[in-house]
Amino acid sequence: MTASTFKLSEIGVLLRGEPAAVRSWADDLSGRRVALHLGVIIAGAGGYGAAMGWWRAPEQALLVAIKFPLIILLTTGGNVLLNAMLAPLLGLNLTFRQTLLAQLMSCAVTAAILGAFAPISAFLVWNTPAISPEAMHSVAYSVMKLAHVAVIAFAGSAGNARLLQLLVQLGGRRAVAGRVLFAWLAGNLFLGSQLCWMLRPFIGAPNLPVEFIRSHLAPQGNFYENVFRTVTGLLSDQP
Amino acid sequence: MNEPTNPPPVPPAAPPVIPADFNRHSQLGDDPAERVPIPNFIAAVECVLRHPRRVMYQLREPGAGRLIAALLFVTVTCSVTYGLVAGSFSAGSQWWAAPVKITGGLLVSALICLPSLYIFAGLSGARVRLVELFGLVAGLLALMTVLLVGFAPVAWIFSQSTESVAWMGFLHLMFWFIATAFGLRFLHTGFAHARAKSNAGFLVWTVIFLLVMVQMTTALRPIIGKADTFLPLQKQFFLMHWADCMGVK
Repeated sequence: MTASTFKLSEIGVLLRGEPAAVRSWADDLSGRRVALHLGVIIAGAGGYGAAMGWWRAPEQALLVAIKFPLIILLTTGGNVLLNAMLAPLLGLNLTFRQTLLAQLMSCAVTAAILGAFAPISAFLVWNTPAISPEAMHSVAYSVMKLAHVAVIAFAGSAGNARLLQLLVQLGGRRAVAGRVLFAWLAGNLFLGSQLCWMLRPFIGAPNLPVEFIRSHLAPQGNFYENVFRTVTGLLSDQP
Repeated sequence: MNEPTNPPPVPPAAPPVIPADFNRHSQLGDDPAERVPIPNFIAAVECVLRHPRRVMYQLREPGAGRLIAALLFVTVTCSVTYGLVAGSFSAGSQWWAAPVKITGGLLVSALICLPSLYIFAGLSGARVRLVELFGLVAGLLALMTVLLVGFAPVAWIFSQSTESVAWMGFLHLMFWFIATAFGLRFLHTGFAHARAKSNAGFLVWTVIFLLVMVQMTTALRPIIGKADTFLPLQKQFFLMHWADCMGVK
């Protein structure tokens, strides 16, 4: 399939992970295909973000619709150089272009799944009582949080399963592909967690204003410092 | 009367056990692609990441000096780049002090450890010239610093989102450790191609090199935080310095 004949049906090929087609796409840095991947990421992750933020307010929906794809793209952009270096060092001789395209394809699969779940998530929000300090402690809120975690985990797992298949196609050996995927995942998780922390809130809180980032919390350190403080706080509370 | 029994023949001493993977590599230069000269520093970066055997082969050839110069140029360029990112945390005079300290510290650490590497290589039975070892260490530094540049965007994002010097120090040390591990793997492969009879010398040298590098970060402190003087007024061992940073009494 050439760049000039690309269609939306390519998303289906990507989701199915058709080996021959996806393998050839990883070598073909066509502007249209990159635009398609970016479009899927923006629409899919943005749609899911909008559904997530809608519970707090329509403005929050808009902000999270921007933040969700932004996190995916910033994580990919921030780590692509490192990932392109790690792949050959771990035994998979990928070029920078192949690394970038493989990651974009994986993110597109994740975002397409997220986008597909956006209406279900919105339906869940619609069925949940309006946000209030009381609702934050209700079963509905817990169910919603867990549903988001489950959907995001499923979408991420599916995207990475397709990425592993692609890496096997490109490298030939499953052990090597697994090693590279593990290194990439570790880096992406490390940076992605921090970016999520910086760009919070996503669901929002009823007693706090709707804003792009929590400006009053900005100087409070990074995600890992916070985790560390929480753990040490828990331990120091022990009798 | 029984004939005195002769003692059973003593089997010949077994050859020293060499780790299974130590000599598994084929001869350098067997692949014709390895014999193609490395023309410039960009190709040197490419080779150190993707074709390390080509670098090792070229270091044995006449004119290896140009390749070593290219590797050192990559090291300086990449360490200055990473130093700028490290310096962005405190800004001010650290914009220039951090790149100078990181670049200088790396080069001086390598230079301090080079003679001992040559000695350990000799003791291990490796057939390697000093210039080749110098080239391998330059390759180690180049690979390390190229990887550090890969980590630079992540380091920058974290440096803009925290005020904790201890945390940033930990993060930079973690990135340095990962980069050094890959660099040492490169050096080890080169060492194995020099027909060394054992790994012990290399392992001892690795420990020495790591200790020198972490002590260098303390000797040149602050690299991340701020200070009135370029170099510290008080001498300290790196473990004490780390304990101070973490507030451990």
